[in-house]
Amino acid sequence: MTEKRTDQLKFAVFMTGDSNYHNAGWRLPGAYNDAGLRLDRWIEFAQTMERGKLDMLFIADGIGTAGIDNLKATRANPKVDRMEPFTLLSALASVTKHIGLAATAHTTYNEPYHIARQFASLDHLSGGRAGWNFVTGANAEDAKNFSRDSHQVHGDRYDRAEEFADVCIGLWDSYEDDAFKRDKDTGVYVDTDKLHVLNHKGKYFQVKGPLSVARPPQGHPVLIQAGMSEPARELSARVADAVFTSQPTFEEAHAFYADIKNRMDKYGRNPNDLKILPGVAIFTGRTAEEAEEKYEALSALVNPAAAVALLSARTGIDLTGVPLDEPVPELKGNDVRVSNPQLMFKLAQREKLTLRGLVQRYAAAGPHNMVRGTPSQVADQLEYWFLNRAADGFIFLPVYLPGALNDFVDMIVPELQRRGLFRKEYEGKTLRENMGLPRPENVFLKR
Amino acid sequence: MMAERRKDQIKVAIFMTGDANYHSAGWRLPDAYADVGTSLEHWIEFAKTMERGKLDMLFLADGIGTHGIDNLEGTRHNPKLDRMEPFTLLGALASVTTHLGLAATAHTAYNEPYHIARKFASLDHLSGGRTGWNIVTGANAEDALNFSRERHAPIAERYDMAEEFTDVCIGLWDSYEDGAFLRDQESGVYVDTDKLHVLNHKGKYFQVKGPLSLARPPQGHPVLIQAGMSEPARELSARVADAVFTSQPTIEEAKAFYQDVKARTAKYGRNPDDLKVLAGVVLFTGKTADEAEEKYDHLFSLTNMTASLSLVGQRLGGIDLTKYPLDEPVPDFQGNDVRASNAPLAARMARRENLTLRGLIKRYTAGGPHALMKGTPKQVADELEQWFVEGAADGFIFMPVSVPHALDDIVDLLIPELQRRGLFRTEYEGKTLRENLGVARPENTFLVKARN
Repeated sequence: MTEKRTDQLKFAVFMTGDSNYHNAGWRLPGAYNDAGLRLDRWIEFAQTMERGKLDMLFIADGIGTAGIDNLKATRANPKVDRMEPFTLLSALASVTKHIGLAATAHTTYNEPYHIARQFASLDHLSGGRAGWNFVTGANAEDAKNFSRDSHQVHGDRYDRAEEFADVCIGLWDSYEDDAFKRDKDTGVYVDTDKLHVLNHKGKYFQVKGPLSVARPPQGHPVLIQAGMSEPARELSARVADAVFTSQPTFEEAHAFYADIKNRMDKYGRNPNDLKILPGVAIFTGRTAEEAEEKYEALSALVNPAAAVALLSARTGIDLTGVPLDEPVPELKGNDVRVSNPQLMFKLAQREKLTLRGLVQRYAAAGPHNMVRGTPSQVADQLEYWFLNRAADGFIFLPVYLPGALNDFVDMIVPELQRRGLFRKEYEGKTLRENMGLPRPENVFLKR
Repeated sequence: MMAERRKDQIKVAIFMTGDANYHSAGWRLPDAYADVGTSLEHWIEFAKTMERGKLDMLFLADGIGTHGIDNLEGTRHNPKLDRMEPFTLLGALASVTTHLGLAATAHTAYNEPYHIARKFASLDHLSGGRTGWNIVTGANAEDALNFSRERHAPIAERYDMAEEFTDVCIGLWDSYEDGAFLRDQESGVYVDTDKLHVLNHKGKYFQVKGPLSLARPPQGHPVLIQAGMSEPARELSARVADAVFTSQPTIEEAKAFYQDVKARTAKYGRNPDDLKVLAGVVLFTGKTADEAEEKYDHLFSLTNMTASLSLVGQRLGGIDLTKYPLDEPVPDFQGNDVRASNAPLAARMARRENLTLRGLIKRYTAGGPHALMKGTPKQVADELEQWFVEGAADGFIFMPVSVPHALDDIVDLLIPELQRRGLFRTEYEGKTLRENLGVARPENTFLVKARN
């Protein structure tokens, strides 16, 4: 870990719903309050990201509507109205050229055949720019939209997710790269010697295959993992190309980084083949005071009831009725959320936050790192994390749109480029090429 | 019923799937595209051609698995193995088109209504109200094997489930009333929760709480399309569909079907004009009638018999055709639980046209169970006009036998002929697919229930 890095930072941008990451971002004068269902806004964002040579647009997704029974909070929740990721990313694929297009897809209430097929198709449509954040489904209420009474317990969900990911990989590899001949003279469309029928029979799934599409341009889409629990870390080390993580401090991020990279050896993987991207919310301005004022202006717009409901959903603990201006009570991991509650509690203790202070900080940055300052001060922090191996890059959380994204591309990116820490041109055509990830071999040829 | 001269116009959809060449040897013609399956640029070209012709919609047929994969000789010659998934492909086309309807098949058998309702709603928002859903129960028994099931449900059960599936989707689309999203930056009120309706569906097959996580689609509901011809399929069409896509090889059969489906709408309190019957038609056109015949013969000469037997057997509901002699009359095929109507329809067609099995294969590799029309553009237009005027169809789904040329011929030769006769639009009537098809925007079902 003492070696000087010669690679460069990678950047993803985190988008969801109205895409103002700050809970009250949509209320700021000048911010877009209608990005949820406006394709023209999304095209603008994607093109801004390409102007900044960023690696990928990432759509976080929840399949249901968290906390819908709390009508008061729902009234103020800009995330209730959002596009479905596969359809949205596909719409963006035909009007962009370089930006990676990644989305969350849940394993819990889905069939691997559908998910493998949709990502393969998106990878073909985009010329090799798809990424999949596989999550096990963290909103307990989701079960009620899928004919289930209750959410599976955490351990079972990961067990199933492991098998789900393996089935998808087997399906993507149904055909070898050059299987499709399309020979008009002989009439041979496909070389069936290069066809592999999966015939998977596992604990949770029986899937015959093959997938009804050629192998994706990237081999497999970029696989992203975002959990931080023990089974999530193992799954990351075994199959993920990138890890999104919430690490509020350098020390925690550094420990997490070392832990994941160290786990890879037992799966025969090179640690450079997994990129660790912690989330970061940035408030910047020409002066440090200006950055601070932006944070305060947004905090003043936070609706406490909605913010408490959000934190309740994200910790799996009902915080309704807890006094707002007293220290935060202890938050413990549970079957719905294993890591988030403890993370939040530690953060509140360290920064001596009341529940109001915690929900304001949570409204701005969730469980992630938050950086406030001039472009040079922000770049210093990002550089420190990168050079000292707490991160290979970041997932940038735009607190309001389009302002925070434009600030990032127009102020922070040029500063990082001046320091040689970020690309000036895309290295390749596919997301794997830009992120410096190898194209995986077909699993049927390895065996 | 048809005494009055029609004042409306023909609706036109284009059927595409996989490599987009409907004829199984279409891809082998020298000027045909052989690599459409995963090539977005070709699809963009097709969609733009269709908009140039002012056509109503691109219709993506879809099978979720790969038919007959265990028959390697058939598989080697099968251009349908490699295809885009419809939601992603239509999403990609939504941002580069402005008027064309974008319809896809989505199966109810191995899906969750929440996912399907959400994807169609999202696509409807992305396209500004141009989405259609072809509700299909899944006609390929092998599909079960990709979804952790051992058995494909019989047809009655599949339709029972499809009825409930559709109703759940409708309830989810109506989760928010039109105008529910206020997004008031001043007060901080994003949504008016008085206009939120939580479905709380508890049925035989599904329990779905709702709401859907997005605003009501621009069209209210996507255009609902049904393609089955069995008894339960006809009832589902009459009750909820905006369009029926049907295979009727002759005008007589088409008229009987048309009258039957339209007559069934009354008991559901619907106006028969709000359900458009679109008949599938495969066209071979040429400068002369002989040239059209030659194209038909030439394409058959490029087919592979092993692949064709497998493909046609599949379309008839999984019949093993290899055990019958090719040059003798077609046996009296019966319907089964997977596909009720296709096999008897094929047997009737063979008897009527005096076809041997080889003749039936030739007919099917070109036109499937659909009407086959061959001739000059003017002759074909005559035939289409007769179907429309005499009440056999409200419009057509054309299957281009080979792309791009068969599609170009439709848009450049046939459409101008229909326009000259006043039978087809010269400009789009509206912005949404419903507006162009002339089907009503549905009222929110929660408001209808509250009123009644």
